[in-house]
Amino acid sequence: MKHILHEAFRSPKFVTGFVIFMAILALVVFYPLFVTDHPLAIIGQGTFFPPGIYVSVYDTTNAPQYTMMLPEAEGNRIGAKLGDVEREAMREWLIDFGIPRAEIDIDDTAKLMTLWDAYYDPALRFQGMTSARQKYFARLDASLEGLLVMEPRVIAVPNTETGAFEASQSIELTDFVNVNEVANVRVLPLGTDNFGRDMLTQLVSAIGTSLQIGLVAGTVATLIGLTLGLMAGYIGGLVDDVIMFFTNLFTAIPGIVLLILISYSIGQENRGAVTVAVVIGVTSWVWTTRAVRAQVISLRNRDHVNLSKLSGHSIFHIIFADILPYILSYVVMAFILQISSGILAEAGLSILGLGPKTTDVPTLGLMMRWAMIYSAHILNKWWAFFPVIVAIALISFSLNLMNTGLDQVFNPALRE
Amino acid sequence: MKKSIFRVLSVLIAVVMFAGALAACKPAEVDPAEVAAALPREETLYYAGLQWGSVVGWNPYSSNNNNALAVAQGANARIVMFETPYMYNMIDGKQYPLLADGDYTWNDAMTELTFTLKDAAKWSDGTKVTAEDVAYTFDTHIKYETSTGVGVADYVEDVVAVDEKTVTVKAKLNDAGQAVNPLVVSAYVSDNYVIQKAWTETLEERVAGDAEAFKADPGDDAIGSGPYMPFYDDDTKVVLIRNDKYWGKDKSMWGMLPAPKYLAHTIYADNNAGFLALKAGEVDISQQFNSNVQDLWLVDNLPISTYLDDAPYGLTASLPTAYFNLKSFGLDNVAVRKAIAMAVDYDTIIANAMTNQSPTFNQVPRSVMNPTDGEQALYDHAAVADLQWAGNDVEGANKLLDDAGIVDTDGDGYRDIDGTKLSYNAVCPNGWSDWQAAIEIVAAAGEKIGIEITTYFPEWSVYQTVFTDGNQEEYDIFMVWSNGAGPTNPWGRVRQLMSSDFAGTTGNWNGNWGGYVNPRIDEIIAEIPQTTDQAKLVELYTEATEIYLTDVPSFTLMYRPDQFYTVNESVWTDFPAATDGRNIPPMNLADGYGVAGLYYLTLVGD
Repeated sequence: MKHILHEAFRSPKFVTGFVIFMAILALVVFYPLFVTDHPLAIIGQGTFFPPGIYVSVYDTTNAPQYTMMLPEAEGNRIGAKLGDVEREAMREWLIDFGIPRAEIDIDDTAKLMTLWDAYYDPALRFQGMTSARQKYFARLDASLEGLLVMEPRVIAVPNTETGAFEASQSIELTDFVNVNEVANVRVLPLGTDNFGRDMLTQLVSAIGTSLQIGLVAGTVATLIGLTLGLMAGYIGGLVDDVIMFFTNLFTAIPGIVLLILISYSIGQENRGAVTVAVVIGVTSWVWTTRAVRAQVISLRNRDHVNLSKLSGHSIFHIIFADILPYILSYVVMAFILQISSGILAEAGLSILGLGPKTTDVPTLGLMMRWAMIYSAHILNKWWAFFPVIVAIALISFSLNLMNTGLDQVFNPALRE
Repeated sequence: MKKSIFRVLSVLIAVVMFAGALAACKPAEVDPAEVAAALPREETLYYAGLQWGSVVGWNPYSSNNNNALAVAQGANARIVMFETPYMYNMIDGKQYPLLADGDYTWNDAMTELTFTLKDAAKWSDGTKVTAEDVAYTFDTHIKYETSTGVGVADYVEDVVAVDEKTVTVKAKLNDAGQAVNPLVVSAYVSDNYVIQKAWTETLEERVAGDAEAFKADPGDDAIGSGPYMPFYDDDTKVVLIRNDKYWGKDKSMWGMLPAPKYLAHTIYADNNAGFLALKAGEVDISQQFNSNVQDLWLVDNLPISTYLDDAPYGLTASLPTAYFNLKSFGLDNVAVRKAIAMAVDYDTIIANAMTNQSPTFNQVPRSVMNPTDGEQALYDHAAVADLQWAGNDVEGANKLLDDAGIVDTDGDGYRDIDGTKLSYNAVCPNGWSDWQAAIEIVAAAGEKIGIEITTYFPEWSVYQTVFTDGNQEEYDIFMVWSNGAGPTNPWGRVRQLMSSDFAGTTGNWNGNWGGYVNPRIDEIIAEIPQTTDQAKLVELYTEATEIYLTDVPSFTLMYRPDQFYTVNESVWTDFPAATDGRNIPPMNLADGYGVAGLYYLTLVGD
């Protein structure tokens, strides 16, 4: 055993897979220690907040202020509202209005703004202009309001008695706050989803759930497959015939069809994560059975098995002591693959709406389903689905790598 | 060698010329399938979000046509192929004449409604639309018990052709000699198509009077009076073609033909497929719930707009509502009902589930009215202001429950009544994504006020059999739609929300699914249709709102448009918009007065 482990950890493939898998596992275990929010808590009012650091606007006004004279500040401020696209658009409008092209210098912000303020009329819609374009100019105009104003912004508070606004604070253009000193800052490395939930917290929790689903599905499938394979292979005869009859039957029916039918008939209210995992397990044991049976048949007439029989050992003793150790390497590898395919099966089911019931626990499949329902892929909200895909890919990649690595350890013929 | 080539060529040329001459003798036959396969883009208006699956039929008597582009009767009837005497405009609540000439008139007793038909009105086969057609349509609906016939039989006595052009709709009378419901009578003339008598007789002959066969006939030969006729349909698309002889180009109606030659609807696999097509400019007008629709112009900078430029983007008209099952333990207690309704965070429902495509309850405070100006003017806002709640009021809800003596007696974190924990399920059909998201937020509110609420999303096929059964005890809090805008609303909606007539009935598709009973509201429901005095009407509606907000038999979760409306100006422009001053509702350019939009469309660049 020690030797096998030693060998395994000398296989670069196994080690790579193992490290990735452990990293994922560590994330699942340790992340909740630092971020204690419920993974399904709705924190955002609105959908798909992009990834970033969210700073409370209200609290920034209370944070200590620093004055910094940054030469690039004004350029950045104007550039954020008035990029190349906006400048081109303004020129287009002004030309349509009848200003000669030569008189428009789009690089000179002050001149451009003067022209714009002098001539722009939101009611004008030129020949060939769509109303969508007309609205674009109206929005652009609104966003330029006060762009070149250099006076400070004043924060006013209503007087509780008169209701009149009274200035309480003025904010200079050179005022800065240190993010560390703002009372409320929330980092959303992966933004929020359609429910306004923190994607990363949810993703970590979903990976945990999906790993559990994979583990349960893999265990169930491997146990069933192993038991049936051992019985069919070792006992043989009628038992073999009956088991192989059912195995072949299930081989002929595609697993995904069975999975869909069973999931559907269970009904959504009963589909917890564990139930779905068990369903996945009981529909994916056939290949394990066939492979185990084939190996057992080749083992059962070996000398040490016959010796054991002559010694009067029971069937169970023979199976566990004389046969199982010889096929254990295969079983472990099959188990690893079953985990991986269990996770993929859950994702597939959930996308069809047949996975675990929603918003009970997050799973990778459910996250993708909701991202799809709210058209995240069409609206380019990549953070709502891409990290999920990467997580699924990494999990199955690491498990498959470990499997391949072990294969090379156990099977000398495959060694490079 | 050269010579032989020349010979072959000359024979070929002769054959081609001969064939050409033959073809010239006959008028060129158009194969609709071929044309439909590659419709000229600049003559076609493409839809999405109306038609799912292939068309079953064109029979306006059938309620099983699955033909959303051409056949849909009701408050905002789709009038591109068949037409109604009047067109309802949900913006101002008025009925505008279409086949009818001028406004209708009531007799003094409000028992008979009379209108005349336009002289120009013709069927697509060139014959005139007569009063006899209108009368025969009604008789046929009654005779064959169509869904229209069953719906109006209790309110409309008869439709009579006075002369060739004049039609009188006679109301059913109650014991006092008044019309049972004048609202339904006046709605009849904008809800229902006029169907050609000659074609109806052909159909009757074909089915030999068999009512079931009559309603099941696909009616491929149906003749309409509208601007479009069936052109082509298969399992990928439906295409209507303009009738260039359409009577409406007469000065007495539109004075011109609608702009697009073809109306086409590609049948998309799902919402996302339709959304992608809209984004790509393959769809001109989309009746889909497209989440975060504003990103299309704010982020992607596409020439796409909605009716309003800012949230809620559309004209909302219906009130998706969660009903309390009054048979569920504890939900017969008004404090529990009101506490749950007060604690729900509606702003999050609207911002997240609806992606802001609904006004908030601060903008349009809750009542029995939809957000349209016409309905909002029908109740006294100040009188019910104290009863309205905007939601997310956990403190208020907890206090309400504490004051009612409903507290957690056994320390399990949930409140009890007589030692029994308050525990409910909140239910809506699976796959109705924005409703599911809303129901999740309802459930979250329960946690905050010590009432256990779990979500449950059964399949629609199951859901519809349970919630329509007035004796069901499976669903505690469940979502149902509401009436939108129409000539009979808000009366119809008040009735739908609270009428005792529906309480405890089975096969109930009408309303009051929670089983609420209140004799006073029944009196109000009976009185409103008979009331013509505006002040009295406001008084009645205000009282109905008071009762609704006091007893909380159900609570509205959001507002929702009758029809979603997003347009792409890649090909066509001048779609109806709130700012254009044309008073055309955003109703697909096809429903009720929304059809007027077809006459303003122009091509981009023209």
